[in-house]
Amino acid sequence: MMSIILHECKKALTSPILIGLLVVFSAFNLFVIISSSDHKAELKIINEIIETYGLKITDDSLDEFNSNVQLDVAELNRMTASEFTSVYEFLDGLSFENQEKYSDEQWEFIHRLQLKEMYLNMAKSIDESYEGIDIRKLAAGEIEKYGLSGKAAETFLNENEKFFERFKEMVSNGEHKQWFFAGKAYYMHTFLFKTIFLQIIIESLLLIILTTALITTYEFENKTHLVAYSTKRGRKLMKNKLLSALAIAAVIVVFLFAITLGTFFTVFDYSHVWQTSISSAFNWEYNFPYIAWWDLSVGTFLIGVIALVFVVLLLFSGLTFALSVTVKNSYITFFLVAALFVLLWLLPSFMPKSANLLFVSAYTLPTLLLAVSSSFMGSSGLILFENFEWMTVSCWTVITIVVCYMSYKRFIKIDIS
Amino acid sequence: MLVVKDVSKRYGDFTALQQINLEFNTGLYGLLAPNGAGKTTLIKMLATLIAPSEGEIYYNGKNIIDMDEQYRELLGFLPQQFGYYKNYSPKQYMLYLAALKGIGKKEALKKIDDLLEKVALGDVVNKKMKKFSGGMIQRVGIAQALLNDPKILILDEPTAGLDPKERARFRHLLTELARDRLVIISTHIVSDIESIANEIIMIKNKQLLYKDSVEDICSTLRGNVFETTIDFDLLEAFRKKYVLLSEKQEYGKMIVRFIHKGVPEAGWKPVAPQLEDVFLYEYRDEIEGEV
Repeated sequence: MMSIILHECKKALTSPILIGLLVVFSAFNLFVIISSSDHKAELKIINEIIETYGLKITDDSLDEFNSNVQLDVAELNRMTASEFTSVYEFLDGLSFENQEKYSDEQWEFIHRLQLKEMYLNMAKSIDESYEGIDIRKLAAGEIEKYGLSGKAAETFLNENEKFFERFKEMVSNGEHKQWFFAGKAYYMHTFLFKTIFLQIIIESLLLIILTTALITTYEFENKTHLVAYSTKRGRKLMKNKLLSALAIAAVIVVFLFAITLGTFFTVFDYSHVWQTSISSAFNWEYNFPYIAWWDLSVGTFLIGVIALVFVVLLLFSGLTFALSVTVKNSYITFFLVAALFVLLWLLPSFMPKSANLLFVSAYTLPTLLLAVSSSFMGSSGLILFENFEWMTVSCWTVITIVVCYMSYKRFIKIDIS
Repeated sequence: MLVVKDVSKRYGDFTALQQINLEFNTGLYGLLAPNGAGKTTLIKMLATLIAPSEGEIYYNGKNIIDMDEQYRELLGFLPQQFGYYKNYSPKQYMLYLAALKGIGKKEALKKIDDLLEKVALGDVVNKKMKKFSGGMIQRVGIAQALLNDPKILILDEPTAGLDPKERARFRHLLTELARDRLVIISTHIVSDIESIANEIIMIKNKQLLYKDSVEDICSTLRGNVFETTIDFDLLEAFRKKYVLLSEKQEYGKMIVRFIHKGVPEAGWKPVAPQLEDVFLYEYRDEIEGEV
């Protein structure tokens, strides 16, 4: 049994196209990370801030931070023989000729002070910013934006009310008052969980669909089916093929994650922010901060999203298997799975805006994958539901198991000619 | 041992085989019929690749579909189109098939070497099969069918692509194998099995025509096969009148072998019917159709 699985895995692992794609994809991911790393040195300041003032932003720690920044401003004044109250004042009044008056070390000091002031000002404005958030008003805006009415609007408002409670709890817990990379300056959440994760997801999907279809249809495409399926193992070979396809899918995902995230976290120093809450006020990139349904740290969120993506990609391997057992052609299978992916993703746009079916139709694997940066978040538009991730994964696990079982049972009985 | 009982196979409206009843014991059976007669359909049913639409196939009293792995464990099968992995060596490919046949790697390695030696491929065990000739591939196919030392060996058109020397060697191998197992060979080449088969099975119009020894089948045409010499000009008229089995040119005249059921004419020499004669006679319409 084990040796059959290894033989089946070998078919995928020795395929030049798949190995070529894996190398190209890995290289592309590294290129994207390295070419976007010009601000990696600036990010390190947050580690120093956390080391000095602690992870949580308290009134005391903020006062201490403020005092130290004032000391730095005083140092700046000594350096420039002026009376600035902020480094920004100095920078605004700086002329081109005056830039050369300062040494590299002095500029380094000025830049660091600028970053410290930026973080300090952001931290000071957290309470004010969060007081300005009106969850109910935002929900009304969303309803208008998506054109929801009837039951759909009612469901959305109900879930939003739950989210409002969670928002209040989050604020009272102080989850938002924790240091993280400035969202509006660096967009690290979007870069990691949207750009990089989506790259990994699309690449893994392509490779997984190709390898699963290749392994499953291998005998038919090489015309060895009459020999292979008349051996002692017979049609049960398909079970081994499924296990091999899942094993290879796991290897592909682990490889791409390891090489890409390994590079990412080597380039960008996250060492001090793992414990920061993902709902940190600094993780506010666009109109609304990222607010998770649960008190999740950056590290836990990352592990959660990796696990989610891993499981969903394995489910895609299962779905591809079910389809290729029936279709028996790897290229047709590839295009069918691609079409299914797009169709499921577009499904909500075909639904009436007044019925709950609109939300149900969004509980699909493509929607989950493509919106992975907003996973576990209550601030994610029409898929804000608290149960969205686990419900989608559970339902599609059942669907995948059922279709795999049905197509296997059918294969056991059909004629092989 | 192996019993085919009232077996029919239909594909939609098309009937490939109808009410076939057969019984196989130890020995060599030749399944002889022109292409498209349903030989491969019957063989695929015996290999559990396709299921009968009606009827059942039993091995030692048990339905072979229900026996599942227990039955296929006893089976060695070479299909008509033997597929292989082009980038694999015979050894690698047979190791894979050995795993599918439930043979451990250690045991398989020894068997593979022996079998490849037996089919004269001992010096190319590690060469990629994409460089192999049709005959070499066919010999890999024969070797893989023997991997599990099968009690039932089914070979569909096994001599396709083999040269005369390889055919002779193959016939010798089959005779040896059929001593203690059931060997079924499907072919449309009479000479492949005429001298070695214990029994010949012929299928015509989707039904069983003969299942008998070569002698008994030949005896059905006893007294009806003749040879005579005619002028070349008369050949066309002769063809229309009689079922011609063979024609040979000699000294400007034609020596023809033909069938006539009735009173022979003077100058006709009665000859002992051969299996080829029965084959050509029984399938005269199909063969003409094929031409």
